[in-house]
Amino acid sequence: GAEKIRWKMQAAYGSNLPALGDTIPGVLDDLREVTDNRIIIKHFEPNKLVPTLNITDAVRTGKLEAGYTWIGYDQGKIPSSTLFSAVPFGMEPWEYMAWWYDGDGQKLAEEIYEKNNVHPVLCGLTGPETGGWFNKEINSLDDIDGLKIRYAGIGGRILQELGASVTVLPGGEIFQALEKGAIDASEFSLPTVDEKLGFYEVAKYNYFPGWHQPFAAFHLIVNKDKWDAISDADKKLINLTCQASVTRNLASAEAYQGKAIEFMKSKGAETRKLPDPVLHELEDVTEKVLKQEADKDADFARVLKSQKAFQAQYQEWQDLGYLPRDF
Amino acid sequence: MNASIEATAPELEPAPQGLSGEVLPHTPISRVLDGLIRHIGEFSAWLWPVLMLVIIVNVVSRYVFSQGFIELEELQWHIYSAGFLIALSYALLRDNHVRVDLFRERFSFRTQAWIELGGMLLLLGPFIGLLLYYSVPYVIDSWHMNEASSAPGGLSHRWIIKSALPLGLGLVLLAAFSRFTRLVAFLAGSEVRHAD
Amino acid sequence: MPINEMLAIGMFASFILLIFTGFPIAWALGGVAIAFTGLAMLSDNYLDTFIAIDWSYTSLAIDRIWGTMSSWVLVAIPMFVFMGQMLDRSGMAEKLMLNVSRLFGRLNGGTAIAVVIIGLLLAASTGIVGASVALLTLLAVPVMLKREYQPELAVGTVCAVGTLGILMPPSIMLVMMADQLAMSVGDLFMGAVFPSALLGVVFVLYIVIRGWMRPDVAPAGNDAEPVNFGIILDALKSILPPAFLILAVLGSIFAGIATPTEASGVGAFGATLLALANKRLNRQVMREVCRETSQTTAFIFALLIGATAFSLVLRGLGGDEMIADALHGLPFGPHGVVICILLLTFLLGFVLDWIEITLIILPLVAPVIHTLGFDIVWFTVLFAVCLQTSFLTPPVGFSLFYCKGVAPPSIGVKTLYKGVTPFILLQASVLAIIFLWPDLVTWLPAQAYSGQ
Ligand code: NA
Ligand code: NA
Repeated sequence: GAEKIRWKMQAAYGSNLPALGDTIPGVLDDLREVTDNRIIIKHFEPNKLVPTLNITDAVRTGKLEAGYTWIGYDQGKIPSSTLFSAVPFGMEPWEYMAWWYDGDGQKLAEEIYEKNNVHPVLCGLTGPETGGWFNKEINSLDDIDGLKIRYAGIGGRILQELGASVTVLPGGEIFQALEKGAIDASEFSLPTVDEKLGFYEVAKYNYFPGWHQPFAAFHLIVNKDKWDAISDADKKLINLTCQASVTRNLASAEAYQGKAIEFMKSKGAETRKLPDPVLHELEDVTEKVLKQEADKDADFARVLKSQKAFQAQYQEWQDLGYLPRDF
Repeated sequence: MNASIEATAPELEPAPQGLSGEVLPHTPISRVLDGLIRHIGEFSAWLWPVLMLVIIVNVVSRYVFSQGFIELEELQWHIYSAGFLIALSYALLRDNHVRVDLFRERFSFRTQAWIELGGMLLLLGPFIGLLLYYSVPYVIDSWHMNEASSAPGGLSHRWIIKSALPLGLGLVLLAAFSRFTRLVAFLAGSEVRHAD
Repeated sequence: MPINEMLAIGMFASFILLIFTGFPIAWALGGVAIAFTGLAMLSDNYLDTFIAIDWSYTSLAIDRIWGTMSSWVLVAIPMFVFMGQMLDRSGMAEKLMLNVSRLFGRLNGGTAIAVVIIGLLLAASTGIVGASVALLTLLAVPVMLKREYQPELAVGTVCAVGTLGILMPPSIMLVMMADQLAMSVGDLFMGAVFPSALLGVVFVLYIVIRGWMRPDVAPAGNDAEPVNFGIILDALKSILPPAFLILAVLGSIFAGIATPTEASGVGAFGATLLALANKRLNRQVMREVCRETSQTTAFIFALLIGATAFSLVLRGLGGDEMIADALHGLPFGPHGVVICILLLTFLLGFVLDWIEITLIILPLVAPVIHTLGFDIVWFTVLFAVCLQTSFLTPPVGFSLFYCKGVAPPSIGVKTLYKGVTPFILLQASVLAIIFLWPDLVTWLPAQAYSGQ
């Protein structure tokens, strides 16, 4: 198609955040360059047009043509969205990629989002985030009881079940709240991002693993009417560019985490791993919470079932084909 | 103007210069609308001490009993946003929005009335009208999708607080319409001046 | 020049012209946003441009208002207003005035110095400029005139001191700025402490020096009683309640016990208890406080709603990039850019007040400051000090309005203008000091984080 495309797109993360916000500007540059300025999607930084949590709303109602976001933010309206973006004790990134492209992932996401007049394109993917920054040691579940913690999404629900007092502070307030002891702990993002935000200056322990999100997926979401209006060739082009971006994003997210962790250690951050019994208990609660959510929402149940089935058949291969983790 | 409003008239505000409620005649429409808006505005003003108490309860429970309630935290901004949205019309009723009086005080009352009439038709009306027009589907959407807070333990039924938006904007439009009728009556040269 | 940029300039120009008609600024902002959405659509239709904004784009204002509604940070604004209104009626200020001015009665410029000290205490315990200026004018100006102060010095002092409330935390202006720039309210509060205290010190120095050089402009009260133990005790007793409030509000924020929002609720509650203790609290007072809180909150948020639509459309027209390019293109180097922004802010302050400037100009210039590598807290505090002068600069200076509204009839506009001029210069020199010594701003917030 020779039609010009001129869209406005707002991102959920600042383009200064490595492997988180710097992904989508590259996609838009690629699209512009390969089409010789025929496809120009204008990039807006977070909150420039709409509040971050409202990006999907704005796209759905056609006020914005496109957005780049972690669609789990929609969970107040589309409960299953969280399964497409991060699941506690869920799939690993390449497993998610397999489920998305070769399993039912993409089909289900398109079906559920298109009911909401939005077309989702997987366009960014990273591995686990850190388990969080703590000013208290976690040796057993009792240490979670009464903990004041900032934790977003289903992970927060799970900690709440265990007696934590969970808040969802805006990103800009986390630093001070941790420093001042208004909260005891917080999760935010990848080590490279946490380093940039300086959490190591105000929290003692950096806990791993990122049990609450073994993968984090990000989507380019496009208003369905706008998506339908473009040519098949352009749809293909956007899909391809996003597939390339998923690969690049995963690579860049994996590339520098080790360095970031080393740096933060050198600044005095104590890296810790959550004890196995705690992880097992967290997993049990996760099962319970996911089941509760599935009972409440049919789409959630459908997606969860598909993921579980995919994970079960994958497990076979993972156990046999790969070297054991503690080898 | 109502006597009770006079009694609470802000002694600390700059003295009203120009076209005040005193000068503008009331109309049958404005009497009804102003009464309605005044009652709603004065009633909603009691939200502020309620907000204060919710904060105090939350602070005490967090620091004394070490138990924070996300519901109470969310309730805080629910009360605050309902409070300021409803107050918009109340402030319009009392002509208490910020303006630059520099030249205005030199204009005759008729000129001021014409300017305000034009402003309402060309600026306030279209602006509030557009917001109102788009805020109704905004609420219906939220209701349809059964929107709840995405925070764990947050409040459900988001459409209720979102309704404060069209409610507040609708009241602003009513308050503006009421003042509009008074301006027209004034410009039409109505001799009727009500002190009440 | 591309059409979208012409529209962006036209948008700003129409707004400035429209506000001089005296139509409420909030609705002028919103109306201009609608009008220029329409013009952009016409331009796309007939002039073959690609601005790509339409009604549905401008209706993003709804989402932005929802962002304001669900803001935890902004909840502090009505609560700080409530606190101010309640303090205003609690009788605290009268007691302060009575007892503190007796301490300085025998000094040249003593009453004016007392005004500064009371103003600082009021500023740190509340933040409503209108209330502070009116109170100080009502209580102190007649006393100073009776003591044969030069009227210019008398009104200049109360006007300038009254504005300290907007800078000295807790401050609704700083809350609003923190919200606009997604920065920590606590940081900004801490950053503003020394600059606002410095302003107070500079005011006192000025009065002392003037009183010493020309005793006739601020004569000591010949009727004043000598300072004795009883007077000191009374003064201390009257300082206790505001000191307690300051400790409860600012202390709890700085110590990290409470978020600014929680502190605002605690402050409102404290002010209510204070009014109760002074036997000033009754149903009528409560009702007045509630209604005044509604009024003030309403006009602030009306401006926020208008400005959010205005900024949205301006951004859609490419106004943001235009400003950023223009600032980056200035040939003066990074510090020169900051000076230009502050100068522009100072000039805009003659006709606009802090709310519009904070809502429209600050978000336009802050990203540029970021890219130039300056500390954003430092810049924001500079911006705040600069905005403080907008209360004093005619023709639209709210301190002047409030003072004129309640001052004795002998005080004319000329006296007011002449009275505030030296204080505007003092504020400008403090601005320069902060500009040259950023540590004044950045030291305290940094201190807070080094304890780890
Ligand atoms: Na203050
Ligand atoms: Na001014």
